[in-house]
Amino acid sequence: MQIKILLTVCFTLVFSGCATKKPMYDYDEYSETFYAMKRETSNETQAEFKNTLETIIAKSEKQSMRVPPGVYANLGYFYLKANDENKAISYFELEKSTYPEAIHFMDRLINKVKTEL
Amino acid sequence: MNKFNLIIVSLIILAITGCANTLVTKEQEFPQMYNEKPRSLLIMPPINISTAADAKDYYATTVEMPIAFQGYYTFPYEMTSEILKQEGIHDSELVYDMPLDKFHEYFGADAVLFTKIVKWDTSYLVLASNLTVSIDAEIKSTKTSKTLWKYNGTVVIDLTGNNGGGGMVGLIAGVVATAINTAAADYTTYARQANGRFIGTVPVGPYHPLYLKDQLVKIQQQPQQ
Repeated sequence: MQIKILLTVCFTLVFSGCATKKPMYDYDEYSETFYAMKRETSNETQAEFKNTLETIIAKSEKQSMRVPPGVYANLGYFYLKANDENKAISYFELEKSTYPEAIHFMDRLINKVKTEL
Repeated sequence: MNKFNLIIVSLIILAITGCANTLVTKEQEFPQMYNEKPRSLLIMPPINISTAADAKDYYATTVEMPIAFQGYYTFPYEMTSEILKQEGIHDSELVYDMPLDKFHEYFGADAVLFTKIVKWDTSYLVLASNLTVSIDAEIKSTKTSKTLWKYNGTVVIDLTGNNGGGGMVGLIAGVVATAINTAAADYTTYARQANGRFIGTVPVGPYHPLYLKDQLVKIQQQPQQ
């Protein structure tokens, strides 16, 4: 009977959301640098945001974590705007292979880049 | 020891963990989320009906991360919001009541997340000032354009802190403290707290370990508007 109570306690605690687990993603300074870029868009704040995206990828790979959704794509977009199409496409491909949900959108972008080359 | 005791134990724990109001399960409240099982969410630029004009851009930077941690594929907001602008969608309000299938067609998004900044302001009272951030959030299907999930998150913060009293000096000190705190207030911190009030009620997505296992999780029911 005591086990049953203990189980109930555990069950209820888990479902009321107090379980601590290893976080799913490492976002590094994502929200800080994103916010700084929105507050004041300049070459400097954009470069900092781009650096953060690169750091997220490096840190995630080091910890064998999945790179958070959209990070590869966003970095690819920076390269696209800097007219480095090949690098852009390689990041869009990485987004696709990490997240099948992105295939449709990434293929659309890749096709667009290729027809404009 | 009987079943009754077990129920009592559960209730006490639930009460202690702070869910005292009307509780419903996620499945009861949002059955369509479990029927449609969206995997990807396109975050729309926030609709801003608050008095703070700059709230839209600032709030927008706080939405992606919690949705991703809730297990969904989130499209890169900085990029998609620019593309939406290029496509002539400057204001999400314009598409809110329209068929949403084009977002599936263009982005491949299973569902769209609308956020509305209802309040993002400081109200000055004589001896105090409160900061309120209130967000309405809603997930709509790109298949049916119907609402799959909807919730509100509101936080009210007393910016004056512990108003130490003490006659005129205390009063002036209080006013000064208010001015300083208000100027220094980084609203995104409070926006994240407001997000925290609703994010947990979203049935988790495919990248979360509890995917399709959280139907019986209890959440606080919100009054229908």
